[in-house]
Amino acid sequence: MIVESKLAPIRKGLLEFLVLKIVGAQSVYVPDILRRLAGTEFATQEGTLYPLLSKLRREDLVQYDWQESDAGPPRKYYRLTDAGRSQLAALDDYWNRINHTIADMGH
Amino acid sequence: MKRISVTVSLNRSTLQFDDAAYARLEIYLAESASLLEGDPDPQEILGDLEQAVADQCTRRLRPDQTVVTLAELVPALEEIGSVQTPTASAAPEQTTRGAARPLQQVSEGAVISGVCQGLARYFGLNVTALRIFAVLLLLLSGGGVILVYLALMLLFPYAPLQPGNQPLRWLPARSRSFMEFLRAKLSLATS
Repeated sequence: MIVESKLAPIRKGLLEFLVLKIVGAQSVYVPDILRRLAGTEFATQEGTLYPLLSKLRREDLVQYDWQESDAGPPRKYYRLTDAGRSQLAALDDYWNRINHTIADMGH
Repeated sequence: MKRISVTVSLNRSTLQFDDAAYARLEIYLAESASLLEGDPDPQEILGDLEQAVADQCTRRLRPDQTVVTLAELVPALEEIGSVQTPTASAAPEQTTRGAARPLQQVSEGAVISGVCQGLARYFGLNVTALRIFAVLLLLLSGGGVILVYLALMLLFPYAPLQPGNQPLRWLPARSRSFMEFLRAKLSLATS
C-alpha cells in the first residue's frame, strides 16, 4: 500500500500515455478502454477518462468518429491523429530510456 | 395524487427517473459542472458523462422495469466516478490530508440546506439544539437570521455525498444543485 501511494503521481501521469497506447492499437470506445485498464494498476473510471480524452482531442492527439451501435445511441470511437501517433512514439522512446536508467542505477 | 417519475433527456438517450434518483442525478451533474470549471470544453464532457449515466442505468434496469431508482443510479454513479481533471493532481490529496474538518454543508438529513448540520459537526454541537437555537434567533432577530443563513449557504462548500442509498429530502437536494449551479455561474462571471 505504501509502495502504491509513493508512485501514485507517476501512475496518474502515465494514464495519458497508456490511453494513447490503447487508442493507437485500434479504434476504441470508452468502455473498451476501461475494460483494457480494469484489473491493472491503471484501472480508472469514466469520470476521469472523459475529461482526459477531451484534453487529448483539444491537443489534436486523438480524434473520434461516430459509429452506429446495435443497442442504444451511436458511440464515439476514438483513434490517434498523426500528431498523436508521433507523440506516442516519442513517449514510448522516452519511457524506454527511463526504464534503462532505472535498471542501470545501483549496478 | 403522486408524481411517479420524470422523463430525463441524457445526451442522446431518454430515461424515466423517480424523484429521489432525479434529485441525486441533478447533484451529480451540478458537481461535475463545478469540477469542470476552467475546462475549455465542459459541455462535451458533461454530454459524455450524461451518456455514461444513461448507459449504466439502462444496463442495470430489470427487463420489466422502466423507471430508474436510487438502486440503479447510486452504483452507476459509483462506477462512473466523480470528475477528475487531468491537470488538477493535488486536489484529492489535500482533502485527505487536512485533519481538521472544514466548515461544510451536510446534505444528508438536512432540513433546508445543511448549514446547521455543518456547524454542529464542526463545533461538536448537538444539531437539534443548534436548530432550536436558530429558530429562536429567527424569532428574536425578526428575520435577520435568514440573511445569515443564505450567506453561509453561499460560503460553505458542500460535503461530498456519502456512498449509500440515503435519499436527500426535496429541499436540501434542490438547494444543493441550485447553489452548485450558482457557484459555477459566479466563478465564470469573475474569471
